[in-house]
Parts: sequence; C-alpha cells; structure tokens
Amino acid sequence: MAQVGALILVLGALGFLVSQAGDNLRARSIPTGFDFIEQPPGIQVGEGIQTRDFETGGRALWVGMVNTLRIASAGIVAATVLGVIVGLARLSHNWIVQKVSSVFVETLRNIPLLVQIIFIFTVFTTLGNVSLDSGPIHGWLHISNKGLSVPRVFGLNGSFQWLAFMAIGALVARWAHHHQVRKQEETGQLGYPIVAAGGVLSVFGIVGWFAHPVMGFLGPVFGLIADALDGLPEETLQLILAVLSIVVAILWIRRFLKSMSSGGGRAKLTDDDWFRMIFAFAGSVLVAFAVLVVWPGLSSWLLNSGRDFFQLLDDRFGSGNGGRPFDGKRPDIVKPGNFANYGPAGLTLTPFFAAVFFGVVLYTAAFIGEIVRGGILAVPKGQTEAASAIGLKRSQALRHIILPQAFRIVLPPLGNQYLNLTKNTSLAIAVGYADVVQVGQTIYNQTGRTLPVMAIWMLFYLACSLTISVVVNFFNVRLKLVER
Amino acid sequence: MRKQFLVRLLAVLLGFTLIASACGDDDGGDAGDDTSGDDGGSDDGGDDGDDGGDDGDDGDDGDSEDTVDVTQGGSLLDTILDRGNLVCGVGGNAVAFSETQADGSITGFDADYCRAVAAAILGDATALEFVPLTASERFTALASGDVDVLFRNTTWTQSRDTTLGGDFGPTTYYDGQQLMGRVADGFSAASSVSDVDGAVVCTNAGTTTEKNIAEAATLEGANFGGITLQTFEDFNQVTDAFIAGTCDIITTDGSGLVGRRAVNDMFDDWAIFPATPISKEPLGPMYRQNDSVFADVVDWTVYASIILDELGITSANAQAFVDGYEAGVSDPQVGRLLGIDEGELQSSMGLPADAFFQMVLQVGNYDEIFTNNLVPVGLERAGSANAGWQAGGQIYAPPAR
Ligand SMILES: N[C@@H](CCC(=O)N[C@@H](CS)C(=O)NCC(=O)O)C(=O)O
Repeated sequence: MAQVGALILVLGALGFLVSQAGDNLRARSIPTGFDFIEQPPGIQVGEGIQTRDFETGGRALWVGMVNTLRIASAGIVAATVLGVIVGLARLSHNWIVQKVSSVFVETLRNIPLLVQIIFIFTVFTTLGNVSLDSGPIHGWLHISNKGLSVPRVFGLNGSFQWLAFMAIGALVARWAHHHQVRKQEETGQLGYPIVAAGGVLSVFGIVGWFAHPVMGFLGPVFGLIADALDGLPEETLQLILAVLSIVVAILWIRRFLKSMSSGGGRAKLTDDDWFRMIFAFAGSVLVAFAVLVVWPGLSSWLLNSGRDFFQLLDDRFGSGNGGRPFDGKRPDIVKPGNFANYGPAGLTLTPFFAAVFFGVVLYTAAFIGEIVRGGILAVPKGQTEAASAIGLKRSQALRHIILPQAFRIVLPPLGNQYLNLTKNTSLAIAVGYADVVQVGQTIYNQTGRTLPVMAIWMLFYLACSLTISVVVNFFNVRLKLVER
Repeated sequence: MRKQFLVRLLAVLLGFTLIASACGDDDGGDAGDDTSGDDGGSDDGGDDGDDGGDDGDDGDDGDSEDTVDVTQGGSLLDTILDRGNLVCGVGGNAVAFSETQADGSITGFDADYCRAVAAAILGDATALEFVPLTASERFTALASGDVDVLFRNTTWTQSRDTTLGGDFGPTTYYDGQQLMGRVADGFSAASSVSDVDGAVVCTNAGTTTEKNIAEAATLEGANFGGITLQTFEDFNQVTDAFIAGTCDIITTDGSGLVGRRAVNDMFDDWAIFPATPISKEPLGPMYRQNDSVFADVVDWTVYASIILDELGITSANAQAFVDGYEAGVSDPQVGRLLGIDEGELQSSMGLPADAFFQMVLQVGNYDEIFTNNLVPVGLERAGSANAGWQAGGQIYAPPAR
C-alpha cells in the first residue's frame, strides 16, 4: 500500500516537472510534441532490422530498441553461462583453473565497463582489412576491422511446424522424465531421467525434420480463430472486457475474503486489507470505464491485431511450409563496389556490436561468477558432509544437493545483474553502436524533441527492467523453500 | 475499528490536498523567485556560468513580465558584463576551427571569433571560458544556458533556426559537405557519390552531415546498392576509425576534411570529392532567440571584422590608424568603427566605444583570422565563396554608420 502511495506521489511530482518543463520550452518556442514519431526522420542507422529509408521516426527508434534488446538478451545468456563457469572454476581444486578464474574476476570487475568497451573496440580497429580471401579460417571464421563473421544457422518456413512438433516431443519427454524419476523413487534403482528425456527429444527432433508437415493442420485452426475474431463486433468485445474486469475483481475479493477468514468466524480485516479490496474494485471499474467510454478504440485495435496475429500464425503453420525447418550458411565476403565487406550469409558482429557485447558479457560474467561462488559457499557445510555420509559422490552431491540450494540463494542477485547488464548496454553510444540511446539522440538532435525522446527512453528501460524483474520473481517464488 | 479506518482515510485525503496545494505554492514561489532573481541581477551575475543558465530560464518562465524585462536590460549582455567573462561553446576537435592544444588552450577560426566577441564586450580577448561540445550536445547546451554563444562549425538551417529556440548570426565561413576516401581504394578528386556504393560511411552524430549523406545516397537511385552509415559522437573517433579501416569513407564539411587530411599528413593518400559539395553549409554563430541586444553584439562583431578587413585595418596597423586619425581628412568610417570620435555607434548598443578597436588589436580582422587559422591547413580565400564581395566572394557586411 505504501508503495502505491509513493508511486502516486512520484508520478505526480514527475507530471508536475514535465508540465513545468513543457511550459518553459513552449515559452522558448522549442517544440515538445511527439509528432516526430509519425514523420520521416531522414536518417540512417548503423545496423539493425532496417537501416535506411525509414518511413517514420518511430520506426527508427524501434530499430534502436531491437538493437538494445538484441544485445541485452544475447548478453544475459552469454554472461550467465560464462559466469557460472567462472564461479565454479574459482571453487575448483585445480590450482591453475582457480588462479585463472580469480585473475579473470579481479581484472574485469575492477576496470570500468566503459574502458573495457572502448578497449575492445580499439582492438578491433587494429585488425587487418577484409579482403576476398580473409581469414583466419577462410569461409568459417573471419575477423577484421569490419568485425567478426561466423557461420549462421537460421529457421526456414518449416521451422514453425517443426517447433510445434517439438512441443509434443517436450510433453512426451516430460512424461518420460517423470516416469524414470518415479521408478527411481519406487525401486531405489538409479534411473536415467535426463537421458530418457533427452533421448525422446532427439528422436522427435529427427523424426520432425521429415515429418513436421503433419502439424500443418494447425494453420487452418489458427485461420478459424482469425475468422472468428474478424466476425466479432467490437461492442461485444467491449462488453466482454468490461464485464471480465469487474468479474475478475469480484472473484479476487471473494477469494481474498475467504483466505482472511480463519475458521468459521467473520474475517478480521485491517485497514490495509480494506484498502486492497477498495483499490481492486475501483481499479476494475476504472478499467471497465476506460474500455467502454474513454478509449473505445482499444477494443477494435485489440480485435484487429488479434486477427492479424492469428492470420500470421495461419501463414506460418499452414501447408506450403513443408521445406526444411533449418539451414546453415557459411560467412561470405562480397565486394559490390570498391569495398569488400561481409555479405549477408554469415552471422556478422560489427566491431560496434562486438565491443558492447563482449564488454557487458565479460564484465557481468565476473560479477555473476562471484555471485555463484558465494551462493555455493553459502550452502551449509553440513549438507556436503551429509551427502557424503549417505554415499554420494562429490559430483552427485554438487548436482543433487548443493546446486539446487545454491540456486535459490543466487537467483535474486542474479536478477540484479541482468538489470545492470541491460542498463549498461546504453554505454553503446561511446563506440557508436546504434542502440536506442544512440538512435534517440540522433533523432532529438535533428528534431529538437529532447524531452519526448527521453520519455520514450525511460519508458523503454522501465519496461525492460520490469520484465526482467517479473521473470526473476516468478522463478524466485516458485523455487522458494516451502516452509513447514 | 470502522471509525479508525475512516479517520485514516480522511487523513490520507487531507495529505493529498496538502501536497497538491504545496505544489501550487511552489508554482507561485517560482514566479516570486524569478522576479527577485531579475531584480538582484547584479548579485547573481557575479557568480559562474551557471547563472547565465538561470537567467536564461528566468527570461522565459513568465510571459508578459519578461518581455518587459528584456527591454529593461535583462539581456545576456548585462549578465556577461557582470560576470566578467564570455562562455563560448566550441568544437574542441575541429582542426583549424577549434582545436584543443596540449596546454589546454583552444585555438582556431571559431575560437578566434569567441575571442573577438569577448574583446568587444569586455575589452579583453582572454576574458573567456571555452566549453568544448560535441555536435549532438551543442544545441542543448545553448538552450539550457550552459553557453552564451556557439561558434561550433554550426550550419544555419531552416529547422535549426525555427525550432531549436536559437537564432543564427552572420555566416563566417561558407562551407559544403564532401566525402573523403582512400586513393588506394581508387578514389580521386574526380570521384562522385555513386562510387561509394557498398561502403561503410562514417560521420559524427547530430549533424546536418548525416542527413545530407542519407539523402544523397537515396537520390543515387536504383543502381546504387546503398551505404552503411555509421555515426560516432566525436569527430576524432570518426577519423580514427577511418585510419583503422573500419570506415571506408568519411564525410563532413569540406573544411573539416581538408583539415584532417592536413594534420594527418595524408595529402597523397586521401582524396576529397566531389568537386562540387553535396550540400550548402553556411557556418556561423548561434545564440538564444529573443535577445536582440546580445544578438546585435555578436552580429556586429562579425560585421566589424569584415569591414575592418575591407578597410585594410589589421592588428598590426590599428594603433597607427588611431594615432594618425585626423577628423575631416581621414575616412570617417574608420573613426566610427575604431571609436576615435565618441564611438556612439558602439555605446548605443551597450559596448565600450573602442570595442572593435580592442577586437582588431587583440584578435584581428576577418582576413587575419582566416589567414592565421585556415590557410596553414590548405584552405584558401581567393576564388572561394569566402573571398570578400569585391573579389567575387560572399563575405559582405552592411555599412557601419
Ligand atoms: N556543419 C555541420 C557539421 C559540424 C561538425 O560537427 N563538423 C565536424 C567536422 S568539421 C566537427 O566540427 N568536429 C569537431 C568536433 O567533433 O569537435 C553541422 O552543423 O551539423
């Protein structure tokens, strides 16, 4: 409750500041609107899903956002893998492994990230030029002052059907896993749950490679849903949404009341509880009001985008996608005019991307390594001793006893590192990587709309952070020890 | 139980009203602060550059009151006189225009115009604080009052003039955008934009340059595959990446390219093209709008440097012109401009009578500023748009009378 109050206060203060700034800017006849989102920006960006001929400024900003998300998500995966390895290595009994990982952590943790990013970029610029016979392993690995290019694996049209096939495979694998675990528990014999699940998955993968068109029936199913959405009048949806929002609130309040009433007696409610219920109900009424009156366009927008989405799924999953699900290509080098450069076949990291990517990954991995090490050390020693007392090998103890407990300890700080990594990608501007900040800055420089662009930045990073928090929290709650 | 709850609810509501009204008070308080700030202008002005910013803010908060303020002498000129120095936004990395030297000083064509304005206002060309700004920082710095004036290779464009809250002074250098490629890649002065197909083209962010090249690439049409446009914050990074080979082509104002080629001693290795620039880049000073007192000062400092050049008055002979001046015999323009008679033209705009004498003595006239800074890197006046109007160029000033 206090949080909600604080939030309202902060939002109010922000709103006041923004309106104040708006007045000042208008007094100076500096334009403040968001119209630049609709207008052609007349710029190019360095890299991304589209780099030139933007129809709107919003599209250019979107390209920047995708670039940020790309580096953040790839970075989170890579930093986690590397960090876990480093953390385990620091606990290794092997002297060399332990020392190497300590040096890794101590060096990277203590050099500012900005310096690392610029350093990596500078290293790239000292490399040789690309030429038609570039190496070091021609056709497989190219490194030059234009970046790094490696073979690329990518999904073809068939990949959607294949994935659907694999979803069924995953269900079967889950069942196999459970089966093995149960057998192990019942008979005491060592089962092979992981092996069984993996085996099922690989069989499905291979069979699916050829047989995935059997999933083609999904296309028409999605098509039917799209048609149904198309036929639904928007008034109906408005009513459904409004009623739904109120019904959900009422159900929630009922459940809440039930959970509060202990035994048969009447519930004892604190002010806080009353507030919660009032807020929930008022919120649902507000939502209903918004849907029906303030923003009736919302439901038609929902309907249209829902229909488009299912139509897209129809296209993707329908028949005619029978080809190979995946393909790979080796990097190539092209020379359209005077200049040799990496062609579109391979997976190319430009020096700009690579500098930011390796920078945030190495830096964050050093911190994650420490978190992992701390998490493992935090598991009471008695657990290890008990494990060896019942005859588990060291590796077994690690896998079944230590790591699961360490994981619980590690998760919250790990989430923090993910947040940091995402925010740190904004240092990209130092080397000119076209992330949301760089593109945004270019746009406000050309249009003068500084504050609107900044507002978009803030909302974007807020959305990223909240998403990460929600995901981490979800696992955190699920993994919490059930206290008895 | 119930009662207690209601009481608390009331308390909360009361709290909100209080906060709301407090906000209202803040509003009123601000207005009050503004006026007091303006009244006590001299106290405030004694401080550092930040006050310039505050004054700028004050000037724009209210509506009717402030218009009055300006006419009453709320000009930036007074702030600068009180403060005792001019805060001038420059590039800092622009070869021959504003270069930071090893000892921290800044030299160049733009830097000299900062000195000229300081000499005209304060009689001292060193009463000056340089603020190096990247292209993308400059307009925010100007609008927020962090700098009094920009002399930063800034192109006068319609959108900048009308939407950034600033105004432009007279053009000091007529430039145009060009590209630079390596001779080893087959480029020469005769190359054209169509030859850069497939190139990684680099420039600095927040410039007219990046829009011009994007447009030029689009105009090349269907046979032209396109370019990759990579932007950096700082033009040093652009040049470094070009030297490293990460950029195939760099592009900016022609003067910048000539300067970079000169300081890197690459005259035979780097080619600048096309011969006719792809854009017009009139470079000149920029200041905040709605302050015509200060605007006049900057404008007429530039004009004076041009007229003094036309009259042949230089830093070397200015004193001789003053000493040898005879009313009724010598050119009265000289008397007016150097403030030998009452110098009322200068005094009525709020400057010392000898403002432009100090300027030419301490800094020089247009031709001297050009010759000292731009000729060494290979930029010539003769035959260019930057020649005087009598010599067929564009450099022209209204008469001083
Ligand atoms: N005239 C253009 C470009 C100005 C510009 O940034 N030029 C570069 C190269 S001449 C520069 O001044 N760089 C200096 C620096 O980065 O400090 C504009 O106003 O947008």
